[in-house]
Amino acid sequence: MPDHVLDLSRAQFAMTAVFHILWPILTISLSAFLVLIEALWIKTGDVMYYRHARFWSKLLALNFAVGVVSGIPMEFQFGTSWAGFSRYSGQFIGNILGFEGAMAFMLEAGFIGVMLLGWGRVPRRVHLFATAMVTLGSSISAFWIMVANSWMQTPAGYAVVNGKIEVTDYAAAIFNPDMVWGVSHMWVAAIETGMFVIAGISAWNLFRKRQPEFFARSFKIALTVLVFVAPLQIWLGDSSGVSVFETQPAKGAAIEGHWHTNPPGTGASWSLLAWPDRKAQRNDWSLEIPGMLSVLGTHSLHGHVTGLTDFKPEDQPPMIPLLYYAFRVMAGIGFAFMLLAFWTAYALRKTRGSLDALLAQRKLLLAWVLCIPLPYVAVEAGWIVREVGRQPWVVYGLLRTNQAVSSVAATSVSLSMAMFFAFYVVLLVTFFVLARRWLRKGPDLTSLPPANVTARGASATTTPPPTSGY
Amino acid sequence: MDSSTHLLLAYIWFGLLGLMLVFYVVTDGFDLGVGILSLLRSQRTDRDVMVQSIGHVWDANETWLVVLGGGLFGAFPIAYAQLMQDLYLPVMALIAGLIMRGATIEFRHSAEHAPLWDKVFGIGSLIAALAQGVVLGKVITGLVPGELNTAFIVVAAIGVVAGYALLGATYLVKKTVGMIEQWARRMALLSAILTVAAAVLLTAATWFFSGVGLDRWSQPGVMRVLIALGLAAALAFAFIMTSLYLGATHGPFRGAVALFIVSFVGLAVSLFPDFVPGKLGIVEAASDSRTLVFMLAGIGLIFPVMIGYNLYQYYIFRGKVVGEAHAGD
Repeated sequence: MPDHVLDLSRAQFAMTAVFHILWPILTISLSAFLVLIEALWIKTGDVMYYRHARFWSKLLALNFAVGVVSGIPMEFQFGTSWAGFSRYSGQFIGNILGFEGAMAFMLEAGFIGVMLLGWGRVPRRVHLFATAMVTLGSSISAFWIMVANSWMQTPAGYAVVNGKIEVTDYAAAIFNPDMVWGVSHMWVAAIETGMFVIAGISAWNLFRKRQPEFFARSFKIALTVLVFVAPLQIWLGDSSGVSVFETQPAKGAAIEGHWHTNPPGTGASWSLLAWPDRKAQRNDWSLEIPGMLSVLGTHSLHGHVTGLTDFKPEDQPPMIPLLYYAFRVMAGIGFAFMLLAFWTAYALRKTRGSLDALLAQRKLLLAWVLCIPLPYVAVEAGWIVREVGRQPWVVYGLLRTNQAVSSVAATSVSLSMAMFFAFYVVLLVTFFVLARRWLRKGPDLTSLPPANVTARGASATTTPPPTSGY
Repeated sequence: MDSSTHLLLAYIWFGLLGLMLVFYVVTDGFDLGVGILSLLRSQRTDRDVMVQSIGHVWDANETWLVVLGGGLFGAFPIAYAQLMQDLYLPVMALIAGLIMRGATIEFRHSAEHAPLWDKVFGIGSLIAALAQGVVLGKVITGLVPGELNTAFIVVAAIGVVAGYALLGATYLVKKTVGMIEQWARRMALLSAILTVAAAVLLTAATWFFSGVGLDRWSQPGVMRVLIALGLAAALAFAFIMTSLYLGATHGPFRGAVALFIVSFVGLAVSLFPDFVPGKLGIVEAASDSRTLVFMLAGIGLIFPVMIGYNLYQYYIFRGKVVGEAHAGD
């Protein structure tokens, strides 16, 4: 297989995946936020919650559309670009993607219409149910995708028969070693993303003192969630890190620039910062803390941490500096999020929900605004660690990426890649233009909920008299 | 499990995927058709009504394709890998079309560039339909290049566009009032004739020139089934024409759906027991029995539920479109 088809196909998959993941993470968390808002509306009857639901669901509608269309290439790319992979592991991966389509996408799509366009056509509780089904659908989608991806990281429950895998134990394959960490880390990342977007947009309006009562409410809800979720994410990240050192030692060593296995009875050193040099098989320079890597990676003083030099160069991940710094960016953002959430909660601790006290925290509000892009950066960095760190394997230890690629013409791949790139630019620009307009328009503080219709719905049927003839 | 169980499972999945394909083609067919037809309306308000008639369901309709893709990948990985690789360009064109229309159906609400977004929406729908026609043509002609096969593929692409326009037009007859409804009736008539003409041409070409006609159709019993299907298709066509003439609201759409289902049964009978005639057998491409059973438990059980809430969504938005707010307003 010509190498440039491999490189092009990898670049194309990276580009489509990097672009696509931006959208579902907000769909998951924003729809979950709307479930909460609608439940509060039904419980309290406070019309302000209804206005919140209408305001934020406009952003969801826009986000959902780009998410759906950018997801379509993903479903078919496994075959068009990675026929070798599809043939080899389709019995499991295809099965799981089939589950995702049937259980998740259809659920989401089946209720998004009612959720976005059904106000006034269904009773409040039915609307809440539709919103909850959209959240459930998008979360199930994340679940199955992470099942498939974690199996590629730590394959289990299979046998290789006639050059392709057969599943021997579904429970073991689905609950593979990485699955629980992969699913939970990703889902919580999605929740963090949405909460930071909601809090950041609210903070911007609070900063500008535009409709502050409205935005103080969404800011506080998002902040409350984050006080719990941000530390949870750090714990999940730490635990999945320990799991990586166990199950994918080459990846673990690469993201920490760790070249030499520590001798028994000593702790491995951890570099805070370094420049890993794959050619020289060492770090060009590093800022080290002795013994720390054993503590971080194995939670014990003298824990065994395999170094990269224990792997043949062709089995080591490529682009080690990228892995090394992507990991640091992700982890750094995670800690910054926890700090900001705690700090803000602390600053507001004695204000008893006073709006003026919140508006007085101008620097903090600005910090929240500046955080809006960061969850996206962290998610992308995390995926780079996950996917580049698995190389040179597409299925860890079983199938190399260069065995997985389709035999297609390089020009076909280049063409489709150029096409996707052009689409993504248009989608992104248009999204921002429309989102900006939505933001400037702001919530409608005079809107009233439609009459609470009966279960039969407010049908708009009008039957004109039949006319004959063509 | 023994080989006869495996055979049965593989055929069950072939049938199930066929059913998903029918759901996809009929449902996304009508909303792609509405998109194609929107290119012919110059008034923005007309296009508003047309898009509104599909606004609540187009996403779920399109999702059948994604479900189908995942099902094919899991149940027949070899076929999925082979088909996607061999059909790289039409599949990419299909994706392009779907991206164009899916994004613009949301973007068209923006005040400036609205006519441009509408144009892209219509063209995206057309590209998606053409690409599906090319895929159909290429599969029936066994993925073999050649002048005759190219002509076949062109007719297949035109046929799919005409067929989707028929579904779209008859759907609009159901969902709209006044001038657009009257116009949709004329479009339905035109596209019905075009669809049947393309179908007859393709059937004749298959019979006289292709391997399918030589091998599969001459097997015992097959021709009888095909003749029965041909009669059913003729009946469906007559039903469309009659109900259009009588001014019925729902009849034309039902007739168009019937025409599609009959055509698909014909296609399935002709391809069986291969995905691609003479190249890719159903059984050889299938996953092992354990996977097929597991998938059947996961997807088969959820299948009626999926149909249930899809129908619920149609029910909530039943009746004619009389103009109201769009998403999020």
